[in-house]
Amino acid sequence: MILTPKILVRLVAIMLLGVILQLSFFSQVTIFHVSPDLLPSLVVALGLLGGTMTGAVSGFSVGFLLNCLLVQPLGGGSLVLLCTGYLAGLFRERVEVRSPLVPPLLCFGLTVFAELGFGAVELTLATDVAVSALVVRDILVQGVFAFFGGWLIYLGLRRALRPALVDEHPVRPSRRPTVLGA
Amino acid sequence: MYRKQVRRRRAVLALLIVGSFALLTITYGSGSNGVQRGVSAIFSPVQSAADGALKPARDLINWFDQTFDARGRNERLQKELQEVREESIGASAALAENAQLRKLLKLDRGGAIPPGYEPVTGRVIARSPTVWFADVTIDVGSDDGVEANDPVINGDGLVGKVAAVTGGSAQVALLADHSSAVTGRVVPAGVQGVVRPNVGDPGDLILDFIDSTKRVHRGQAVVTAGWRATEIESDFPPNLPIGEVAEAPIVEQEASQQVHVRPYADLRDLDFVQVLTGGSRG
Repeated sequence: MILTPKILVRLVAIMLLGVILQLSFFSQVTIFHVSPDLLPSLVVALGLLGGTMTGAVSGFSVGFLLNCLLVQPLGGGSLVLLCTGYLAGLFRERVEVRSPLVPPLLCFGLTVFAELGFGAVELTLATDVAVSALVVRDILVQGVFAFFGGWLIYLGLRRALRPALVDEHPVRPSRRPTVLGA
Repeated sequence: MYRKQVRRRRAVLALLIVGSFALLTITYGSGSNGVQRGVSAIFSPVQSAADGALKPARDLINWFDQTFDARGRNERLQKELQEVREESIGASAALAENAQLRKLLKLDRGGAIPPGYEPVTGRVIARSPTVWFADVTIDVGSDDGVEANDPVINGDGLVGKVAAVTGGSAQVALLADHSSAVTGRVVPAGVQGVVRPNVGDPGDLILDFIDSTKRVHRGQAVVTAGWRATEIESDFPPNLPIGEVAEAPIVEQEASQQVHVRPYADLRDLDFVQVLTGGSRG
């Protein structure tokens, strides 16, 4: 990803909008008793488009902002989401699979990874808590939401960040060939 | 050139990971800090505006979800209604007697809010997105008199307590949050225990450490115990309704000294809550 000041502003705006939408909308709706968590998908999409560094830094920033706005201990969200973004970026840099199913499948897998990561952070900090088996169902349902939501997020971000993407060719309006004397 | 780039990337990554651990170590258990208060002050109005603007869309989606859910609940509620009808006759008589006694003793306070507490109504403006953290952010804070550890209720019963507070917002750790522990009392059995969460299932709380020699039965109500020692006291005043005993197998009561409690408040669907400020701590 070619980072120009304009692209950086866009990235910051996307992350802010993502966190605000997540907290004010997605976290407060329930579908099948589960609230969609689309922040890991946002970080995955940024990692897939920008590589390891973009993924890791955006994951850290999104996690930091999330913890700040929820007045939670700082660092936990950052750690989990930076790993999520880094893994998505690593996939882009190391694996040569070009299929339209890659972004949604990665969003599914890495959302499950992120939720397990959040759980690991919580269980490390908490003392002797009971964990319901329903957590497994909820995480899998969140993964399914991420599959569909992540796909849309990826397409939207690819469009919004097109000028900065290395492997995207700029779209030029097709021009009719000029025929002299016509 | 390439090696230099790789080294720089690794350094940034290591810095971010170390930074995350450092932040976690410094800020865990210390409530809100200056950074959070600043960020919260900037974003609280934005969040409130977004919350208000997105409410119709949110309500629409939740309506669909609740309609599906209502079908399943209908059968259970029919069964419960039958049981409650049978109990209501006795309860009505007890209520009338209770009202008379309250009048006689001049204890009628006209509401469920304990004396000395001033309720501050707040709206939920944000909610933790993961299934692990059960906390919400509300749009009232220290400017409105809210302090850390203030109890939070809604129309159905106890919801949780204030975990951290900034000028214009507060974080409420719900009863289902891993950090929650409330001393509860089963009425009328009088058995006391600690109401703890079953993480990941906000509809199921555990009343732990109960006296295994006394029996607790399904359907009995659980309220806050509100204990007081010489210099310390519970954050929760007594007799705030928490929930009702949902499952009380004798084996579990004897072996694990615990029963399952269904909270009265729907912890997944909170819109307005009341923070009980002041009280004897104030």
